[in-house]
Amino acid sequence: MIWQDFKYALRLLSKKPGFTALTTLVMAAGIGLSVYMFSFFNTILYKDLPFEDGASLMVVSGSYQGKRDRTKVSLHDYLEIRENVQGLSEFGAYRFQNIIISGRDGARRFSAVFAEANIFQLTRTDAILGRTYTAAEDSVGAEAVVVIGFDLWQSQFAGDESVLKKTLRINGNSHRIIGVMPQGYLFPHSAQIWLPLAADATKLSRSDTIYIRGLAHLNEGVSKDNINSQIAVIMSRIEQQYPEKNSGIGAYIATIPGSGGSGGEPVIYTMHIVAVLILILASINVGNLLLSRALERGKETAIRVALGAPRSRLISQMLWESIIICTLGGLIGFLVMAWGLEVTNPIVETFYADPLAFWWTFGIDGYTIKLFVTIVLVTIILTGFIPAWRNSGGDFNAVLRDGTRGALGKKAGRLNKILVTSEIFISMTVLIASAVMVLSAYEQTHKDMGAETDRTLVANVLLTEKDYGSPKNKVQFAKALQTSLENSVGIDKAMIASALPGHYSGTPNIAIQGREYGKNGNASYPRANYISIMPDSLAKLGVELYQGRYFNNGDDGLDKGTVLVTDSFSKLHFPEQSALGKQIRIVDSNSKQHQWLTIVGVVEHTIQGSREGEPASVPSIFRPFTQLPTAQLTIAMVYTSNANLAAKSLRKALQGIDSELASYRIESYLASNVRITAPIIFISNLTALFALAAVVLAGSGIYGVMSNTINQRIQEIGVKRALGATEQRITFEFLWSGFKLLLWGGVPGIVVGGFMGFAMNQMFGTESSALILIFVTMVVIVASAVMVATFLPTRRTLQLEPSQALHYE
Amino acid sequence: MTKTLIKLENIKKVFFTDDVETHALSNITLTINKGEYVSISGPSGCGKSTLLSLLGLLDTSSDGIYQLAEHHVSNISKQERARIRNMEIGFIFQSFNLISDLDVEENIELPLTYRNDLSKTQRQQMVSDALAKVNMSHRAKHFPSQLSGGQQQRIAVARAIVGNPSIILADEPTGNLDSKNAEAVMQLLDVLHSEGATICMVTHDPRSAKRADRNIDILDGQVVADQSQNANKKNSCEIAAA
Repeated sequence: MIWQDFKYALRLLSKKPGFTALTTLVMAAGIGLSVYMFSFFNTILYKDLPFEDGASLMVVSGSYQGKRDRTKVSLHDYLEIRENVQGLSEFGAYRFQNIIISGRDGARRFSAVFAEANIFQLTRTDAILGRTYTAAEDSVGAEAVVVIGFDLWQSQFAGDESVLKKTLRINGNSHRIIGVMPQGYLFPHSAQIWLPLAADATKLSRSDTIYIRGLAHLNEGVSKDNINSQIAVIMSRIEQQYPEKNSGIGAYIATIPGSGGSGGEPVIYTMHIVAVLILILASINVGNLLLSRALERGKETAIRVALGAPRSRLISQMLWESIIICTLGGLIGFLVMAWGLEVTNPIVETFYADPLAFWWTFGIDGYTIKLFVTIVLVTIILTGFIPAWRNSGGDFNAVLRDGTRGALGKKAGRLNKILVTSEIFISMTVLIASAVMVLSAYEQTHKDMGAETDRTLVANVLLTEKDYGSPKNKVQFAKALQTSLENSVGIDKAMIASALPGHYSGTPNIAIQGREYGKNGNASYPRANYISIMPDSLAKLGVELYQGRYFNNGDDGLDKGTVLVTDSFSKLHFPEQSALGKQIRIVDSNSKQHQWLTIVGVVEHTIQGSREGEPASVPSIFRPFTQLPTAQLTIAMVYTSNANLAAKSLRKALQGIDSELASYRIESYLASNVRITAPIIFISNLTALFALAAVVLAGSGIYGVMSNTINQRIQEIGVKRALGATEQRITFEFLWSGFKLLLWGGVPGIVVGGFMGFAMNQMFGTESSALILIFVTMVVIVASAVMVATFLPTRRTLQLEPSQALHYE
Repeated sequence: MTKTLIKLENIKKVFFTDDVETHALSNITLTINKGEYVSISGPSGCGKSTLLSLLGLLDTSSDGIYQLAEHHVSNISKQERARIRNMEIGFIFQSFNLISDLDVEENIELPLTYRNDLSKTQRQQMVSDALAKVNMSHRAKHFPSQLSGGQQQRIAVARAIVGNPSIILADEPTGNLDSKNAEAVMQLLDVLHSEGATICMVTHDPRSAKRADRNIDILDGQVVADQSQNANKKNSCEIAAA
């Protein structure tokens, strides 16, 4: 019986190859796009780590003023949490730190993990060669040991097992290699080197504490919310105890993949909703096409009923069509989606200078397959069941008696209206949400970050504590490097800073002289980007001076306190007056009293890091590097003609000053900035693809439904024309009914799309006028699509003579 | 003196389907006078419904001249045809063709809504009068699906006469009705005719055809007989065969 029905469905589909191809492609698009989106975000945010008990492994991160921004927590806060929280076990702590490994073949920078000894036990993973370090080795004063990753072992030691007898020179100090971790073990993100944290809280005060991230396993039966409530109480108690240092500071647990989603929830939720809507849109389209086919075959169904076919059999026969279409479409979508996930890997790699988190491997996994199967089943029900049910329960007597396609009546009309309204709602929602995303990405990529990027190469250098512990040494190094670079072949100008315009920088609290700040410490102070920069570098970078002066040689000196502020800083803190001559100072959480700094100039606003709304508008203050040297240097070099030559000159200059220092992340200034906006551009491109799919699916779908609706009403049109209705009148009537459907679907679409758009805009900070323009544009697009989709089939129908319309079958 | 309402001269209608040319009507020439009750008969596919469609301006002829109330209507615009259908012609269809989403009153009012010269009150009065004529005032707020076939056809008659058209064109008005309801509808047409209405009816049913003053027989797209029922003599209208 089933086989017969299957063969019959196949025969029907093969009779109409155009219909079959169209519906299959629509389903392929819907299923492929939605599975891709879910799989993509699952890989990034929700995947269980591939260890035993990986799902229960949590990271303890810090938050500021309620914003879970994945910051570190102080060792003291972490220890308090560890002592007091119920429901977490096996605590461990770690922190990332850039290190320099030097050898005979030069120096290289690595991102190392300094962790407590049990980090390996937490991931239930042991070394494949040698051993991991012990708690005794993870203590101050213990022998310096290191565990290396498989890739490092292969690349630096050619997989030689005698590596355990060797040492690595890390930041100028020798470390004995005691173990090699298995291939693919990069915990917690992309680590290749693990060093003992060697942190002893008993020897540190809260003022000079270190900052770490905590790790722990969530006990079975305990929820994350429960733990976070306990942590909130603990942190609140600490805040009361140490208001100066801890006000506004919180902590929370999350899975390691999930800890990165904070702040981006509106985008993540929107993308998921968009994916579901696209799937529904595709299902509505195919469901409608199947419905119109089912209506065409109304007489055949009636004959089957007359011959005694039970309803279940009729439904089964009709369901087979959707089973074939959805499965075939799903498989095509699956293949395209698998290819899409595959090509996502190299794209996502461009987002970060360092290797990707180890679980970020996009491809077909168990979750994706399960999701795919579920979605195919859901689409079969969505696309097949409604037409099957509808067509198996009609007035078959009337169909057989009249020989017509069956009385469509109010129910069919209502169903068609629901279909069109749903399509309008979905397309409006998806288009508005996508447009906000695309506009935001456009704005972010076109924001003026405040500096020239043409013919400029950037690189980083990390000064080791051992050789450059003193500020004086750092200044000497920076001066020597800048002079050497500017005297090098192929380099026109050289600039050195802790962070260049466009790049991320620290944002400490600041205080302005004469202003009073609350007793809550942290929370009451304003923040600003704080950048050390060689005195002549701002001018060389093209950061325009608005008032006062740039730094000059007179500002050199570790005891001096001059500062340049951005125009945005001046407007924010000195709105009605000149900022020149005013004094500010840095306020750090250790309550250390920093010297007052005098503002000597106002320069144009620079963006440091994120281009999104609020972060992009954070003002900046610049100190001369000669007053505030840092270990982390970013070098910008304007080259005369050849970027490679400039890179070579940099290496040569470094080699000439200190052979144990490495330059890393050498790339164009433009590329380093593009990377910051790359994720939002990728997401926006993805959203644009969804929007395009929504437009095509909704446009064709609305046309299909309207065409179907109008086809079903051809006789009615004939009657009305026979009664004297003009073509204009009929056209107006249909356009008016299309407009009413537009209102029914469009208004909720604007509301939901607007809600999603505004939610995302909390993050992006696009101007309201631009959002309103988006809404209006999208409304015009969808309205035009609906009107065209209504007008075209109406016009086609009106080309029939009234007599033909009256006798239309 | 009888006044000519409809005059057809050498009307032809040719359909083209997949390179096949079908002559549905060939050189039809006839006149219908004001106040006449004409039936058009003939076997299935002879072209009687096509002729009715041409008379009702629901279709255009391939050739020939059509005069309605002394106006040439063969080559007028679609908009003008719609206006004439609305003002001058009332249709009654075999399958009633009531709009299922509209109630009885709204169905009857429908042709009036296509006019710009009537107020709502006037339209309501005209609908009320038409309903009274067909004895269906008590069903004004019902929907077609709530009515029997005979009742639906009476509503269709009311819709046809509501605008006081010059001619009522009925296409197998009793074709979907049982004999009792068919008789009721035919009596209604008789009454309308007795009140002065011009009626042209296509019918298969000889009993219905007999009620008309004049019967036109069509075969293979040509008028083969045109007889007055009462006088049993040839009508004054010309008979032309291709």
